[in-house]
Amino acid sequence: MEIIRVERLSFHYPDQERAAVADVSFSVAEGEFVVLCGASGCGKTTLLRQLKREVAPVGERKGSIWWKGVPLAELPPREAAEQIGMVFQNPENQIVTDTVWHELAFSMENLGYPLAVMRKRLAELAHDFGLEQMLYKSVHELSGGQKQWLNLASVLLLQPKLLLLDEPTSQLDPVASREFIQLLRRVNQEFGMTIIISEHRLEELLPLADRVILLADGSIKYDGAPRAIGERIGRESPADRSYLPAVTRLYMALQAQVEAGQVDALPLTVREGKRWLSSVWRAEGEEIVQPVQEREQPRQEIVKCLEVTYQYGKGQPHVLRSLSMHVYRNEFLAIVGGNGAGKTTLLQVMAGLSAPQRGKVIVEPSLKIGYLAQNPLLYFSCDTVREELEQMAKHASLPEPKVEIERLLRVFELEELLCKNPYDLSGGQQQKVALAMVLLSKPDVLLIDEPTKGLDPSAKMRLAELLQELRAAGTTIVMVTHDVEFAARHVTRCAMLFDGSILAEGDSHSFFSENYYYTTAINRTVREWVPDALTEEDVMRRWVASSRFF
Amino acid sequence: MSGGFSSLHPAVCFAYYVGVLLLGMLLLHPLFLLTAITILIVLQFYHDGGERLRKQLPLYMLMGGSIALLNPLFSHRGRVILFYFLDQPITLESVLYGVTMMLSLLLILLAFLSFYQVITTDKFMYLFSSVAPKTALLTSVAIRFVPLLKRRLKQISLVQRTNGIDVKVGSLRKRMRDGMTLLRVLITWSLEEALQTADSMKARGYNTGRRSHYVVYRMERRDWTVLLFLAGASAVSIAGWMRGYGTLQIYPTLAAIHFAWGDGIVFTSFCAFLLLPIYFEREERLRWKSSV
Repeated sequence: MEIIRVERLSFHYPDQERAAVADVSFSVAEGEFVVLCGASGCGKTTLLRQLKREVAPVGERKGSIWWKGVPLAELPPREAAEQIGMVFQNPENQIVTDTVWHELAFSMENLGYPLAVMRKRLAELAHDFGLEQMLYKSVHELSGGQKQWLNLASVLLLQPKLLLLDEPTSQLDPVASREFIQLLRRVNQEFGMTIIISEHRLEELLPLADRVILLADGSIKYDGAPRAIGERIGRESPADRSYLPAVTRLYMALQAQVEAGQVDALPLTVREGKRWLSSVWRAEGEEIVQPVQEREQPRQEIVKCLEVTYQYGKGQPHVLRSLSMHVYRNEFLAIVGGNGAGKTTLLQVMAGLSAPQRGKVIVEPSLKIGYLAQNPLLYFSCDTVREELEQMAKHASLPEPKVEIERLLRVFELEELLCKNPYDLSGGQQQKVALAMVLLSKPDVLLIDEPTKGLDPSAKMRLAELLQELRAAGTTIVMVTHDVEFAARHVTRCAMLFDGSILAEGDSHSFFSENYYYTTAINRTVREWVPDALTEEDVMRRWVASSRFF
Repeated sequence: MSGGFSSLHPAVCFAYYVGVLLLGMLLLHPLFLLTAITILIVLQFYHDGGERLRKQLPLYMLMGGSIALLNPLFSHRGRVILFYFLDQPITLESVLYGVTMMLSLLLILLAFLSFYQVITTDKFMYLFSSVAPKTALLTSVAIRFVPLLKRRLKQISLVQRTNGIDVKVGSLRKRMRDGMTLLRVLITWSLEEALQTADSMKARGYNTGRRSHYVVYRMERRDWTVLLFLAGASAVSIAGWMRGYGTLQIYPTLAAIHFAWGDGIVFTSFCAFLLLPIYFEREERLRWKSSV
């Protein structure tokens, strides 16, 4: 049965020429799991918010939305709040109260449920979600992932029929985001709850979805089952392939190059990919291509961390313990590691923003260090992007600020946003502006904290190109990241931070191909045949080079 | 703390502290006050091994001591003159009254010290949320903001330092300007985030009708029994006080220290009242000791 139907919906923000949502029609059946994807700024969030009346943005709206055959606008407010639940992007900001139990109860209190009902529902859900241990904790003690669980739980306590999620995992690390998605799967499978989720990272989501809607410039480009969409994207628009899981991309790339065995269903997961590969690989185990050793170049250490020990306060645990590490000139170093391993702290210590209790950081004196924090909002203090950049240029005392700003605007595709307030931009755009600001001071060593967080695939590609360009121009880049795929594809060297010190380091190829869990999906798929391949390009190269295998 | 006395319903604990304060102010008798102070000190040791008391003790002694010392200097009422100090008569009565006042003050301070450990913020919030639910929600929201804003300001000043905005370097003028910039960033950012919080509140049905109120604590049978006991013990003490027992007449002349049977009854009920938390704490300890 149809639960919600959108008919020819268009939406204009005030004072905007371009429609944020343009002539969109679709309907969702009860129990469906729908994934809404598309580049950032394509109207995903606007569309989702139109479905949740209470948070619909102000603007000019045409078309209609029907909730179970009734216009959505005519639904009584209480029912609207109860039946359509929404979880937003930022885990921190959705929390209203100070303790976990109060936060859980908040939505039920709003609807005036009697105490007995609240008690029962809360008990049930706390048990089911495993929240009992943290019920009396302060919300500040929770990790980002736990906060997002809490937000979801609080919404689920109203027992909604439709759950809307606006990029709920974009601020989470991969482990927490995987857990969150599994939770959604459970909610969908076990309670039959209808889910509409907008997301960039489809790697884990696609296999769970019943349906994918790809938005481009405010209108629906594709709408259908994941495999059908995958095939259509593969045929019609190679540019959108980046939304597909890596395994699927590999399959498509190989199909285009060589006849690599047709399968009935497009592979979406590592498991399906392996099954497909093992059916087409002829000579098993024979003559595995040896990894090509890159020529060792003389390397010059420019930043040295010597036995750095850091703790936030007396009696607090050590965030960094006797950490020693070098950064070499003109390399692209990725520091990977779990949540709370001290990655951010390490960058801040290297940037000279925090002084370690023991040990020292030696930076070559002539070098300038630029630091880009994870949250771009920390950088904005002016009313428009232009002012922001100009002020930064002034601080950096550039000889030709105009030229430099123009160049960065072009590279970052920010021209259109120049007169906007930084706060009105989407998360990805804000990050671009902040990065542009840091780059204005022309740093020799760029320290970046989680640059790919919340970025869509094409933005990631552009970021990578830009970083490579910077490297070509002589900049050394140190990046802290959770994004294994991004690191595997673009960096030259990788270091793993665990429990406050560097446990393993090496050039990115050997680093990742030696890992079992902490490596790319492609590597996990093809490791039995090509152990050192990390990306689909690696596999392609091998495949074509050794086409006699087939 | 979760076991023992603080496992009782917050309203019961609250009633206990109200009673201690009330009785401590009514029964101005050095013996009564000393007993009460001793009991509360023992209770402190049950709370945290006397850790907080040790920290606060110098301050308490200073406050109490100054009252005991100042009273005879300023008040010269009484019949028995002990000696002259700077031509001022120091009377036995005023010395004794000062000491009594000191004990009363110490009792109040100790009661509050224990109060803060038993009635934690969330319990306090709970107690007052039934009286003013809107204020309670507002307080809960505000409490979330305190550590949040602190953390944000720290992040902002760290990052803005890379842009040359730092309140720790430069001329006073520059520092003030930088401070304003940091504050502006903090406020803009927090307002922006608060908008998202407002969205989340609306999305979860805030303001769609009458709110109800989730309560964590329940009055159990045990809580009612204890409350009844406290009411009884304090009623007996107060009734005795109204008949003139349990106090020591100091002004205008010191009455003979005479412990009548009426005083005995008041003392017994007073002690019973005060010892209640000790009973629960001891019971808790014993239970675990014997089970090991």
